[in-house]
Amino acid sequence: MTKNATLPDRLVTGFAYLFISLFAAMCLYPLLLTLSVSFSSEQAIARNGYSVIPQAFTTDTYRYIFANSGERILRSYGITVLVTIAGTLGGLLLTGMVAYALSIKKLKYRNVIAFICNFTIIFSAGLIPWYIVNVNYYGFKNSILALIVPSLFNVWNMFLLRTYFAQISPSLYEAAEVDGANHFTIFWRIALPLSTTAMLTVGLMYALQYWNDWWHALIFVNDRDLFPLQYFLYNILSNVNAISSGRIPSGASGSITLPAETVKMAVTIITIGPILFLYPFVQKYFVQGIMTGAVKE
Amino acid sequence: MIAASENTGKKKDRGVLYELRRHRILYLMCVPGLILLVMFCYIPFAGVWMAFTDFNVVDGIFGSKFVGLDNFKYFFSENSMGWKVTYNTLVINFWGIVLGIVVPVTIAILLNEIRGKSFKKLTQSMMFFPYFISWVVVGAIIYGIFSSDVGVANGILGWFGIEPIRWYSEPKYWKEIIILANVWKWSGYSSIIYLAAMSGFDGSLYEAAKVDGANKLQQIFRLTVPMLKPTVIVLTLLNVGRIFYGDFGMIYGIVGNNPVLSEEVTIIDTYVYQSMRTLGFSYSTAIGLLQSVMGLILITLANGISKKVNDGEGLF
Repeated sequence: MTKNATLPDRLVTGFAYLFISLFAAMCLYPLLLTLSVSFSSEQAIARNGYSVIPQAFTTDTYRYIFANSGERILRSYGITVLVTIAGTLGGLLLTGMVAYALSIKKLKYRNVIAFICNFTIIFSAGLIPWYIVNVNYYGFKNSILALIVPSLFNVWNMFLLRTYFAQISPSLYEAAEVDGANHFTIFWRIALPLSTTAMLTVGLMYALQYWNDWWHALIFVNDRDLFPLQYFLYNILSNVNAISSGRIPSGASGSITLPAETVKMAVTIITIGPILFLYPFVQKYFVQGIMTGAVKE
Repeated sequence: MIAASENTGKKKDRGVLYELRRHRILYLMCVPGLILLVMFCYIPFAGVWMAFTDFNVVDGIFGSKFVGLDNFKYFFSENSMGWKVTYNTLVINFWGIVLGIVVPVTIAILLNEIRGKSFKKLTQSMMFFPYFISWVVVGAIIYGIFSSDVGVANGILGWFGIEPIRWYSEPKYWKEIIILANVWKWSGYSSIIYLAAMSGFDGSLYEAAKVDGANKLQQIFRLTVPMLKPTVIVLTLLNVGRIFYGDFGMIYGIVGNNPVLSEEVTIIDTYVYQSMRTLGFSYSTAIGLLQSVMGLILITLANGISKKVNDGEGLF
């Protein structure tokens, strides 16, 4: 911006700073609120309500949680981590292979395969037939596989990866082919190393998808030992929501465990903990990956 | 044998098997992915038959009594929530589409006006945060804001001397809350797509505009906005094509199965899930099928429009 910018121009710039600051603050505010409440004392929250500054700072809530349901949470963590790792690696490999094959122009039936993929986006049988097939034929009721396998092959991610692979010059492949390498070797040794940003971006998408998934657990899992973290949190929250809507008379709440305010927020923080640590570092690559993917679309 | 057929030179006459064998590794690489698609997308199509029957477990999918279109008729009858949930889905998605364009485009344009690099980086990563969390976590946050006793919203109302509202017992507010939560969650992410489009714009156009004395506002409305139009059109069409599909996770993550609020926020997707338990497999399959067919029609139309507007570029 030049120093002798006109008044309207300075107004535009000023407005830009103001709007962006406010919106950015709004995006992070709930996180600060949650964090603050999780470190506040229960009595202070009950008295004054939520606030972004911790009231009577304490780590009691976290200690309380780990003393009472530490084992349960660790177990859920284990499930989520396992599902996320298996799902991300498996998903990357499966989608990567198809994306690579479809990026090879001389593959005659690649349009047929692309259509088979595309069609699943535009038309589906719906939830119920899908559910019945999963439960009756694949035995996915209360199975950890139900949390991994159905979302392993994401067609959108596959097409995104194909966009990246298509940018690699075919002459690189041809040289390897002349040397007698087969296409899997070329995929593994040439295409993948040349597409680290893409693999990182799509890998992150898979990782997020699996880390944040609770829907499959809602549908397939009753066994508490198989609850992923998000579903664990969902149960704590939906119990509370039911109470605050007045469905369950508060006098009858003796048999129901009532998680207190700070506990809910602390479990939320525990659930998003790894994301909080990782996201500032990974979001840069993510932005890069999406930018290049979106431009070439 | 292969050498012999190569000598004939008639490439098009070579059979399917020849092609499959020639590139067998490439085709084999597609097999695991395709198996998953068949398992989870194609085999379930057989179950669609249930929509036309009165399914019971004993007789199975194909043995149950055929009832024609009865399940569909019930959906549109007075007794069912059919019209209501369709309306809810359309309203929530309509505002999702409108605000899902206006807000991210505004963010992208304004971010482009900001010169401070570190400010830009910081705010951009802040705005990206909501993308990384699940709807359940969003639900927890919304609880923190709207809980009647300890929530932030009632605290703010209190400053202005307004009586606290029992949000979780008042269905009328929740469409708006859900629409806003949706914008909040996606805007930072979507703005990146527009920023990407803007990074491809020809800088010399802006230089020329400056020379001609155009101010920033004019540059934004005469250059940036018109050049963003193709991107906006494609994304809008894609979303309009999916307007009958709601976000199950969003609704259930935010309001759970809270029966008090369900009237206003039950969408087709959550209705299907709830009907599975109460009204049976056949009826809920029928609703799902109706949704899919509507979706197929709309997305095909949208694709056609996209081809017209964008010089033959379809959505897929």
